[in-house]
Amino acid sequence: MTRPGLTAMTRIEIVVGGDDVAAVTEVLTAVGATGYTVFAGVSGLGHHGFHQGRLLFNDRDGLRMVLAVVSHDLAEAAVAALRNLLEERPGVLFVSDTYVSRPEYFT
Amino acid sequence: MSALEEARARLRVEVASAARLIAPVWPVERFIAVNPLHGLVEVGFDGAVDQARRWLRATGYPGRDDLRDALADGRIDLDDVRAVLREQLPLLCASAGAAVGAGAVAALDVLVADLVHGIDLPDPDHAPRTAAERFDAIHGTALAVTVDAEVSRWSALLTQPSHGPLGFPDRHLGAYPAWRGVAVHDRHLRRLVGRAGVAELGSLPDRADDAIDLALRRLGIKPADRAQELRGQLARVPGWAGFARWCDEWSSDQDPVQLLGLLDLLAIRLSCESLAIDRATRSVPDSAAAPVAPAPPISTARQRATSALASLGVAEPDPATVAWAGDVLSALSDGRRGQLVLAALELGHRRELLTTLGPAPAVGPAHVAVQAVFCIDGRSEGLRRHLEATGPYDTFGFAGFFAAAMRHRPLGSNESYPSAPVLLSPAVEVCETPTPGAEAVAGRRLDRQRRSAATAGTVDAMAHGPLAMFALAEAAGWVLGPAAMLKTIRPRPRARVVADGTRMAIDPADGSGFSLEDRTLVAETALRTMGLTTGFAPVVLLCGHGATTTANPHAASLDCGACGGNRGGPNARTAAAICNDPAVRSELRGRGIDIPATTWFIAGEHDTTTDEVVLYDLDRVPVEHRAAVEDLASDLAVAGERNAAERLARLPGRTRTRSARHSVQARAGDWAQTRPEWGLARNAAFIVGPRDLTRGVPLDGRVFLHSYDADADVDGTALETILTAPMVVAHWINAQYYFSTVDPDLYGAGDKTLHNPVSGIGVLVGTGGDLRGGLPRQSVMVGDRREHEPLRLLVIAQAPRTRIDEVVARNPILRHLFDGAWVRLTARDRVDGPWHHWTPGQGWQLDSDQSNRARLEEVPA
Repeated sequence: MTRPGLTAMTRIEIVVGGDDVAAVTEVLTAVGATGYTVFAGVSGLGHHGFHQGRLLFNDRDGLRMVLAVVSHDLAEAAVAALRNLLEERPGVLFVSDTYVSRPEYFT
Repeated sequence: MSALEEARARLRVEVASAARLIAPVWPVERFIAVNPLHGLVEVGFDGAVDQARRWLRATGYPGRDDLRDALADGRIDLDDVRAVLREQLPLLCASAGAAVGAGAVAALDVLVADLVHGIDLPDPDHAPRTAAERFDAIHGTALAVTVDAEVSRWSALLTQPSHGPLGFPDRHLGAYPAWRGVAVHDRHLRRLVGRAGVAELGSLPDRADDAIDLALRRLGIKPADRAQELRGQLARVPGWAGFARWCDEWSSDQDPVQLLGLLDLLAIRLSCESLAIDRATRSVPDSAAAPVAPAPPISTARQRATSALASLGVAEPDPATVAWAGDVLSALSDGRRGQLVLAALELGHRRELLTTLGPAPAVGPAHVAVQAVFCIDGRSEGLRRHLEATGPYDTFGFAGFFAAAMRHRPLGSNESYPSAPVLLSPAVEVCETPTPGAEAVAGRRLDRQRRSAATAGTVDAMAHGPLAMFALAEAAGWVLGPAAMLKTIRPRPRARVVADGTRMAIDPADGSGFSLEDRTLVAETALRTMGLTTGFAPVVLLCGHGATTTANPHAASLDCGACGGNRGGPNARTAAAICNDPAVRSELRGRGIDIPATTWFIAGEHDTTTDEVVLYDLDRVPVEHRAAVEDLASDLAVAGERNAAERLARLPGRTRTRSARHSVQARAGDWAQTRPEWGLARNAAFIVGPRDLTRGVPLDGRVFLHSYDADADVDGTALETILTAPMVVAHWINAQYYFSTVDPDLYGAGDKTLHNPVSGIGVLVGTGGDLRGGLPRQSVMVGDRREHEPLRLLVIAQAPRTRIDEVVARNPILRHLFDGAWVRLTARDRVDGPWHHWTPGQGWQLDSDQSNRARLEEVPA
């Protein structure tokens, strides 16, 4: 499907523990992602039980969600590496198609 | 998709996996106690210790000597040993024994005998972890240690401060590019890799990740084995690897250190190692030496069984009995034995502590003149006890940053430093500024700082920084310098109560500080979490802490962990100023906390080396409170003297001086003193509850004390805040002391007298080798005698267990710590309730002493 004036890209969202954010951002940087967004204070119910959101005096031990948008040709490398990460580490990965209005920001 | 990008991405995951074995190592100037096995917390304590044994060649448990010492001095008895054996090996302990002569020997007796009287043997040879170790095992060479030495040398050089004597032309590109740029010219490397290797050095890839990939292929490492190889490489230099991990994951742009990341370290190591092996391979004759066979075991199972029977008085057992005993003892692997020793020690400690706490609460004074809030640090315990005995005082415990997580800019500094638990990343800056109208007084203090700096030879008078906040802007007369320098050279106050013309600018309108909403949050959080929301005394003291030592690279290890390894005075002053702020009090009233107009908050700092307490900002204390503040200062001096005397009894070295105060001051100022104080040695427990639970109880400085009022904490927020932050920090401290004690050579920093500070970030033992994280031997031992008792932190909570369960259920870190047996947990629902112990896999278990009493009470007469 095409959207006039917009460029198709791949959206990657991954929820991991705070200690694993560095590995995720390293992977994204390594494949050539130009940026990413990290959401703190993520709470919810998962495979390993409930996870509290933002803790008052602890920025490290909660969950984070990392969001990145990359071109399709970079997505495969990123997804492959992130899947390797999740073989050892808890977390969930969402990969979806998205459209952006400023492709130059993401390439 | 590019194969190169895929390889680079995959490598990142492999490095992350490998590095989980290694805990971050902070620069020693801001030493932070961490759990050395922090990255393995999710596999549980025993699992992590086992992985560390295999990869780091580390010991993770106390040994038989510790068990024998504890039996000898009565900390435990043989019933404790039997109890832990029955708990961990129930079927074996209940199994049939063996007939011996006219009697019988029970399996339990054999196990006890081996545990108590057996000999700890060194671990057998381990499997090689890296390519160089495999090469050495086959050829009898020493390549692995040679590569270690080379890489450690380069790591020290690359992390030199930027103004150091060595220049790396490409340092701004990163550590690996900087090394690559000069490697071909280094004669040590040329000897290591040979002429052909030098040519290869010159054509190494530009990027560290590509260099790692090339080296792994050169070494013939299969893709499935890459993470293992990387893990082994890091395991050989856990100190530098830990610093690299800190650089990657914990450093910030404002950190004035030269970074060395994990990719840099691995690229340099693997490049050196692969080329060194290439060279060595060319030199090895075709008839290579046969693999070196491992040494035969020193003691066989038969010898062990015979020894155990002998200690039970069975002098000449028949073969069948020996075989039976050998079968029984096969259940006691090295790991299991260590678990049992630790469990026995902890059982004795827990029993003793619960007995010491006693059943009846001790109520505080009817009229309280001052409520004094101290850091939870165990060194506050004694001072609190002595202060309460001196006058109408009630004390509380709260993390020493007092909820004011901030970056602090000292007077005269042109940069700030984070002063908060390392689990937080504070963004708000709070500056120490001259009080309007008192600039002259502030100026005199700066003059003293400048003279101290000149004496220390660290003046940087030409540094530039914002002066707008200063009323006096005479750059030539002021010291402007890095915060790290100024916080260490600040002259010690001469008076017990200080008014030096400065204040903490807590309001952005004054140039720095928190918004009103955030100031209110700081105050509300601190007060609610410790349960101080009503019944305010006329004076409330917020007392941080720090330590004064001389020529001590590990000085930060004695400062406040809740303040990021810094002195806590600035946080206390900030929090006190916030609580005195009329705007904040107005907001708090709307939230149900009504601080009377007759209450004044004052800040202080306890020097844990000298037991002196300084009170700040006397010039701001209202007239009607000054007498009470002076009385407090006097009583703190008395309490400090008594606490110093108590502490001196445990500090080695003769004291010839007149008083305890002079003795501890002498220790603080003695540059040759390797043990100015004991720090947090012997820490063992974390108590969450009201002061009534611990008032007047001599806890020997071994306990973190956090105030908590379960009745006031209806939704469990305060309990959750305590367990997920201060308790986690206490666990890190406890784990650092624990592992530095059970394996001082691997986890500890070695002998202080041999320390060689390097790069401003750490110490080496001697002139080379791995960076040494952890605590020096002198922090946990006296000679070969262990001062610190290796026990896992025991959390004792007076809180409804259902509330604890809810908090734990929604916080994975707590599930890992309690279910993974990193931290022990004991709780009672209310002051008159029985103690229950959390047992992983079994839930809450009634304390056995109390259950025995209950059973006895049920038996009809």
